[in-house]
Amino acid sequence: MKALRLWAVLGVAVLASPALVWADAGKAPGAPAKPLEKSELESDFLFADEASAPQGPTPRTADGHPDFSGFWKGSRATKPVGNIGKDLPGFKLPLTPAGEAALKHNLTQTIDPESRCLIGGIPRHDASALPFAIVQNSDHVTFLYMYTYFRTVPFDVRRHEEDPDTRYFGDEIGWWEGDSFVIDTVALKDKNMWIDENGNPQSGAMHVTERWTRPDAGHIHVEATIDDPKFYKRPFTYSRTWLAGKSGSRLLEALCTENNVDLQHLGPGPGGIRADGTRGYDVPPLPENPPPPPDSYDAKPAGKP
Amino acid sequence: MKPILAAALAASLIFVRPAEAHHSFAAEFDGDKPVRLVGTITKIEWTNPHSYFYLDVKDSHGNLQNWAVESGNPGALSRRGWTKGDIKFGDTLIVDGYLAKDGSRLIDGRRVKLPDGRIVYGGSAGDGGPGDPSAQKPAGTEEKP
Repeated sequence: MKALRLWAVLGVAVLASPALVWADAGKAPGAPAKPLEKSELESDFLFADEASAPQGPTPRTADGHPDFSGFWKGSRATKPVGNIGKDLPGFKLPLTPAGEAALKHNLTQTIDPESRCLIGGIPRHDASALPFAIVQNSDHVTFLYMYTYFRTVPFDVRRHEEDPDTRYFGDEIGWWEGDSFVIDTVALKDKNMWIDENGNPQSGAMHVTERWTRPDAGHIHVEATIDDPKFYKRPFTYSRTWLAGKSGSRLLEALCTENNVDLQHLGPGPGGIRADGTRGYDVPPLPENPPPPPDSYDAKPAGKP
Repeated sequence: MKPILAAALAASLIFVRPAEAHHSFAAEFDGDKPVRLVGTITKIEWTNPHSYFYLDVKDSHGNLQNWAVESGNPGALSRRGWTKGDIKFGDTLIVDGYLAKDGSRLIDGRRVKLPDGRIVYGGSAGDGGPGDPSAQKPAGTEEKP
């Protein structure tokens, strides 16, 4: 009887948690082995639908500011993900000749810095497909990202350091303008950074201004202005909304350098950009009949880094 | 703490391990070179940013060659029901995926048949490859319209 009660509780619990549904599938006594393939699991991990966003007023901290704390997932309505030119006609960035040259260099000569386990930085993290978390207290807002990366933005601070060290997240300061939290970023690295997943360039001259708002319990929004006169003819904007994740969600430790076998096999650039503005290229479906055996290709030992 | 309460509490937490999006599928793998590997497991690396499985695969001449299979990290795989105890050295895996562009004996394991018969999506979330939801026009049998 106790076992039955336990399974009943577990059943209710796992229904509330897709991750656990799948983690336990096929393991319950007598349950038949079932196919677990399907990338909608990954879709649920990365993105949420508008209807799933919690409703309610903007939560506030004790000092009256909107509280951005929480776990934030991309909306399926955001398209294209990963492209900093998302809001520009044809996703076309206003590159200067130097910017065009830098883009060509990134596409043909550069391994993605994130694939080398360098921090993507800002604004790239604002364009990423990956969810993130925010922890806010009385004098700073901390963004927690996958791969154990983070940025901490103090407020109210309105002057940058006199001679800041360059960093992947730059020298970041923040202040409140009503219910908007403004983050001002300069002193970004001059090399080994892509502005987005698609290999677009950024220089050390870049200045990023983000205005973050939380209009209600279920949404967080950024309006970013990107000004990089070395690589872009004029400032341009990027906006995006994320949806609140389930209560209890949190990030766990992971180290990108633990076993980065990829590095010796990666080619330069993102490997292609689709017409819809996302990285990659359209790949024919895996044949349902067995794909060709490895003899079909003249492969060499994979080796180790 | 009573077991039932402990189980319910454990189930109420959603541990989000890093997904991938660590590199673009298209920067490493050739979508025009699908391949099926059938082999026995010789090594398991249950690691970040990807898990790797090494298989001894017999070629048409009867020679054994060792192949590497790149897959999601442990957290991503466990979300799909593939946990560490599901495979061990000597087990046979059937893996459909795509060959590395550099011609190495390395594939992206996109569809994996486990020893118990379950089929697991092995792709990397956010890499823009087949079945990845961040690609807007995903191709691949894994993706629903």
